Amino acid sequence: MARVHNWQIGREMSYWYPESRPEKQFAAVFDTNKCIACQTCTLACKTTWTSGKGQEYMLWNNVETKPYGSYPLAWDLKLLDMIGGSQWNGGVYEGQTIFESAPAGERVMGWKPEAQDYAYPNVGEDDCAGQVDGGAEFSLPHMAWFFYLARICNHCTYPACLASCPRGSIYKRPEDGIVLVDQGRCRGYQECVKGCPYKKVFFNPMTGTSEKCIACYPKMELGLQPQCFVNCIGKIRMAGYLSTPDKARADNPLDYLVHVRKIALPLYPQFGLEPNVYYIPPIHVPTPFLRQIFGPGVDAAVAAYRNAPNDDDLAGLLSLFGSTESVMTRWVRQGQEVAGVDDRGTTLVRVPLTEPVVERAAFDRVYQIMRHNCP
Amino acid sequence: MRTIWTVLLVVALGAGAACRRPPAPTPDVVAVATATLPGDPLDRAWQAAPEHVAALLLQDLVEPRLMTPSTAAVRVRALVSGDEIALRLEWADVEADDRPGPGQFPDGCAVQFPQKAAASAPDPQMGQLGQGVDITFWRADWQATVNGRGDTIQELYPNATVDHYPFDARSLERGSDAQRDMATRYAPAVGAGNVRGAWRTSAVEDLVAEGPGTLSPAATTVSRGGGVRTADGWAVVIVRPRPEGLSLQAPATVAFAVWQGGAGEAGARKMRTGWVPLSMREAP
Repeated sequence: MARVHNWQIGREMSYWYPESRPEKQFAAVFDTNKCIACQTCTLACKTTWTSGKGQEYMLWNNVETKPYGSYPLAWDLKLLDMIGGSQWNGGVYEGQTIFESAPAGERVMGWKPEAQDYAYPNVGEDDCAGQVDGGAEFSLPHMAWFFYLARICNHCTYPACLASCPRGSIYKRPEDGIVLVDQGRCRGYQECVKGCPYKKVFFNPMTGTSEKCIACYPKMELGLQPQCFVNCIGKIRMAGYLSTPDKARADNPLDYLVHVRKIALPLYPQFGLEPNVYYIPPIHVPTPFLRQIFGPGVDAAVAAYRNAPNDDDLAGLLSLFGSTESVMTRWVRQGQEVAGVDDRGTTLVRVPLTEPVVERAAFDRVYQIMRHNCP
Repeated sequence: MRTIWTVLLVVALGAGAACRRPPAPTPDVVAVATATLPGDPLDRAWQAAPEHVAALLLQDLVEPRLMTPSTAAVRVRALVSGDEIALRLEWADVEADDRPGPGQFPDGCAVQFPQKAAASAPDPQMGQLGQGVDITFWRADWQATVNGRGDTIQELYPNATVDHYPFDARSLERGSDAQRDMATRYAPAVGAGNVRGAWRTSAVEDLVAEGPGTLSPAATTVSRGGGVRTADGWAVVIVRPRPEGLSLQAPATVAFAVWQGGAGEAGARKMRTGWVPLSMREAP
């Protein structure tokens, strides 16, 4: 095992291969507060990539309701049980990652999902944590909660799937950090399925190989965001490229959200993979639960997000989510407008901080009729 | 007088039994020359070859390792004819695992030979750089396909329902190139030319390796083989080119591996042998 630096856990850790960061890293920010679990992202991915034989059960993108939803079943709870509670000291993780806790003979600590674990892709949908007693829904704050967690492959800096494969069939592209399974080389041992803590590698029983989210790399190569991003009707997602903290640029939208304002946080950073999909945590969920999922930066992230209406830069950047199919590598706010810009400096889209509001008169003079929703 | 008849009867029965008894087990694998090689593991011709019982070891040299022993031994017989050698492997495995799936692993076995006859054999664990090994691999799921299991998800999961596959679109003529192209788009391993991803027409596959993690398909699979369930496990025959250097005068080496799918064994997680001496002799 090599020693590598994982900034998400604030320390060095053990990994199967030496540190080798790509020229740029594909990354994404998901705003959980805006997700309505319509599964349009899930279907966009499904119809684009996984409509073949043996792919029937695969959801490279899925949306699950937390706290009870999970696909495959209990993917996170099982590993949390195995790894034990997460101990943080400030921004430093003091527990063991899945690489450091690997049992003898293993490269990572993991578990193998079976067919039954994929049988309930939307288990726990809309189930909230706790009962809503009679009349309780009329009082605030609600004591019962749930939120939607949209998930794709995290295209991790230290992928456990890649570390697990004894054949080197999984690789991380040096040009953009996208993690791929070489379909010509894979022999279907399912070590990657076992090793990935997020369970985002799937075994195809018809071809005998394992498959996973490819971050729609043919689109990313053209400067276009992946299918699950551009089809998101809640506009919760933004894809781009993320720098390491020491090279963060405030004019890079993802750097700004992750490194400068720190409102977008990694999923289970304690696993140790440095995942590259970042989540703006839901503001209505108890922080102990959120800390377990998103790490110790939750309180500050929620506070910053709550203050976004008073923060033109943050509000402006959040307005760019879902505003264009193109990848925005830069952004700029000019007064009450924000613009998404590409590598060449071309302005891709302009969005006002405040959308103009048009109030329609109750009486429609053209048709000489009152506008009512019901007769 | 009665005692004498009893003794004579016992002697006679004993002699008869001795005539039918197969050759005694041998400390190494002895390939017996024969006119034709049986492809059926249950063929009586196998009785002409002595049995070698190869104790199996854990693959605990490289990660991922197998830490819990499963199959204890594999019983091996060998026959040689012309340029080919046939090996019959039999081992105990009470549960037949022949369905691939998430968390499901098929049973399998393999034979391995050094690519070149040399004074020093390559590392028995998949060979080494510059000293490669030839491997022939049999798997129970491939056998099931060859035996007639269909190419549908319902063959693996009978209750599975599928709304629609893009290659079943009405606009695509059945069996046309356009339909095949569409099917390949949604079978990435097939599209990438991975022979493992293609529809199986043989239960065995020829492979080459120069060390752990380097296993690759051979240019073509020339070996043949097939397996059947026995009362307590599997019996598999693999027919492949005679290993380089093996003759009546010169021995060779061979190694074996067995995967018990029910124990989650796949890839490097296997029970295996080191190099076992392989000699050849004329039929008695």
